Amino acid sequence: MSDETYIIKRKGQRPTETFDKAKLHQSITAATLSAQAPSGQADNIAYAVTNYVLEWLESRPEVTSHDIRLVATRHLRAHHPDAAYLYEQHRTTL
Amino acid sequence: MDIASSLAIVTLAALVHASFQLSVSVLTLLSGHAIGAKHSHARVLRLTFGFVSGVGVMTLLALSFVSLIFLHIFGYDAPQFVWAIACGLLVGVGLAVWIFYYRRGKGTSLWIPRSFAHYLSDRSKATKSSAEAFSLGLTSVISELPFILAPVIISALVLIQLPSNWQLVGIAIYTVVSLVTLFSIWVLINSGHKLSAIQKWREDNKRFLQFAAGGALAVLGFFVYVCKIVSDASGTF
Repeated sequence: MSDETYIIKRKGQRPTETFDKAKLHQSITAATLSAQAPSGQADNIAYAVTNYVLEWLESRPEVTSHDIRLVATRHLRAHHPDAAYLYEQHRTTL
Repeated sequence: MDIASSLAIVTLAALVHASFQLSVSVLTLLSGHAIGAKHSHARVLRLTFGFVSGVGVMTLLALSFVSLIFLHIFGYDAPQFVWAIACGLLVGVGLAVWIFYYRRGKGTSLWIPRSFAHYLSDRSKATKSSAEAFSLGLTSVISELPFILAPVIISALVLIQLPSNWQLVGIAIYTVVSLVTLFSIWVLINSGHKLSAIQKWREDNKRFLQFAAGGALAVLGFFVYVCKIVSDASGTF
């Protein structure tokens, strides 16, 4: 069950938490909007990417937040390369 | 040193300051979060302008503060050894920028304390009002101090020698020129250019920017050394 997948946070600095579908959807939407996609398109893309990540998580009881970011970026790139670039770069801009 | 040479040094120091990337990174993040949060264009404009204003004010305050301290300690002309130390600092920071400025790997991560970077990143996401964006601008200049202190110090040493009205002109020149990069990015973002294209350009050219900033610092150090120390010793200029 993807809802019970545990997410190990980056470098273990924060406590492990369960996967939050809404949080991933919101971050993908924000990245896509930042790449100047229309609101509706951003929502559709976020929905598709979130579903893909959910499928990927089905057989995995425990993953890192970095793994989720990699998988989401890979799928987002197929829909919107600019948004994928911003999503991927978020942690390494500063 | 005459007024024209002094202002030329201040301008070059400000250009070096402008080539540093921390404030540009924070502006990119701030804009990305603001656009991603579906804020109106006017609000994104206000937030980013608040940030740029904060950077400008803190730069002005930092240079004025260092100049005032030097004026109190040294009067209108600092001793030669202080100039020599400042020139050494410029060359040293220039070499450090060549070696350390960007972290290894993808992206544009800088060699600043990670706690500062995380704080700025988190605040850029949490910023909702122009006042917060303004204070974020102030903070980002403080975070950049390890790199900008050398050009600020040399500019302050140059400025304290000038007549008071030219000191104000020098401070204004430094502040305006140091904001050129940030202001250009602000214009690009608010005129509809893609953040991804801006960030990609910055990532693709980060080694050139690093080389240019480090090289310009070393050149500035050498130029001031020749202008002030060598020429004073030989009685020219």
